Amino acid sequence: MFSQGGLSLEQAPPISVVLRFFITGSIFGVLLSLFILFNSFYQLPLFSSHIILVHLLGLGVMASFMFGAMFQMLPVIAGVVIKIPTKKALIAHILLSVGILLQITAFSTSNSYLYLFASIILGGGLLHTSTLMFKELIKIKDHSSSSKGMLFAISSFIITILLGIVMLLTLGGYLDMPYLLELREIHYSFAIFGWVTLLIIAISFQVIEMFFVTPKYPNIMTKYLIITLFMLLVIKSILIFRSIDTILIDIVFSSLLIIYAGVTLHRLYRRRRPTVDGSVWFWRFGMGLLIVSLSSFFIDDLRAITYISFIGFALSIVFAMVYKIVPFLVWFHLSNQGYMEAPMMHDVIHPKRVKIHFFVHLALFTLLIINSFFNFLIVYIISNIVLTLSFSWILYHIVMANRKYYHIQRSFTPIKW
Amino acid sequence: MKKILLDAREMEHPIPLQLSLSYLQSMGSGEFLYMIHRKNPIPLIEIAKEKKYSYLVKNHNDTWHILISKESGIDLEDLVDV
Repeated sequence: MFSQGGLSLEQAPPISVVLRFFITGSIFGVLLSLFILFNSFYQLPLFSSHIILVHLLGLGVMASFMFGAMFQMLPVIAGVVIKIPTKKALIAHILLSVGILLQITAFSTSNSYLYLFASIILGGGLLHTSTLMFKELIKIKDHSSSSKGMLFAISSFIITILLGIVMLLTLGGYLDMPYLLELREIHYSFAIFGWVTLLIIAISFQVIEMFFVTPKYPNIMTKYLIITLFMLLVIKSILIFRSIDTILIDIVFSSLLIIYAGVTLHRLYRRRRPTVDGSVWFWRFGMGLLIVSLSSFFIDDLRAITYISFIGFALSIVFAMVYKIVPFLVWFHLSNQGYMEAPMMHDVIHPKRVKIHFFVHLALFTLLIINSFFNFLIVYIISNIVLTLSFSWILYHIVMANRKYYHIQRSFTPIKW
Repeated sequence: MKKILLDAREMEHPIPLQLSLSYLQSMGSGEFLYMIHRKNPIPLIEIAKEKKYSYLVKNHNDTWHILISKESGIDLEDLVDV
């Protein structure tokens, strides 16, 4: 993982900083799939089940994985130093995990105290971590397209969190907010298209070329895409408050994202030395799903496909990154510490295992998309079992990679080199 | 000086780093690593700095030439091909 700025290896975060978030994200993924399975038999009220599902996915899974990736990538991609990362990651991790559980319990019980505690612990935890990253990113003098993109993604997340806190306090009866529906739309617009999408774009500008030896993205795209998308989100928010139709903004926004996904697919098609690599399949599938999601966005009858394929897009990229980051970290830290027994990346998580996960993932989203037309209970249950398998698979491999790392540290003596 | 050439221009990340660390760990005196890369491999340079190895980084026509030797006081400028 290269940076164009300077970086001492001592500034790279310890492996535990990253893996704790990845393991937590996978556990929340398993919990999410069990919740959906449970809900197919014992249905909670629609509002509760939807909002729990969205937050288990958006915060439990996505925010956990993305915080882990940010702690790893800020130093190496943006040259940003987070001091005492172990302590800061531990605080962020505890507040995030406890906060999500409190929030979900609040949603299912509508207890006003739980709403208050969730807004303090979860909101505080998320704000603590994201402002910490924001403050470091804003200090960069010579921004790359990736570091600038991360700044906009984090800014979007801060807006999302602040609106989330306001809504939790309103649901708990502590605030009387007249524009709750408008706030909700802005909240999820910034979460989905700001935080998640902008972060993926920012990271892709750096890693697609680096991981897969592709031609560079066009300059016009790396320079202007992220800021344009962010500005469109801001304009959309103003229009929402003024009750003005946002269809034009949505069309421009979707078109830009479809062009981005097309360009990314084209880059991946033009790899200079194509080798079999499961993570590139995840990237391709993810970009394909992004195009499906945005193309179906304007057709009301296909709304389920829009949501399912967007979730598939985000999870595909998360999995692609995890399967690159985890083996790299295990090998890199051990190797640099002087352990001659450091496993090569493919010995940490074998590429065949990544491919198996890809096929599970492919089957899952194919089932979900097909079932959005027919709505068979049995297909719904099978797809949720496949979802459980998908998250259990990645959880198992991250835990095993972690065990391998500590096993080598305990069992061998490093050389001085 | 014996040159260990590593042309990493078409290698996917992190294979160049894996190979160069492996060469550096086993490299003897009288040898130097000559790496050609499409990016400036900051982590590798940082490792060379930390280990107090001699190193030289040159960018020529958007291609990076990185020379690393375990011998101190060696003039790597004489060994670079650009």
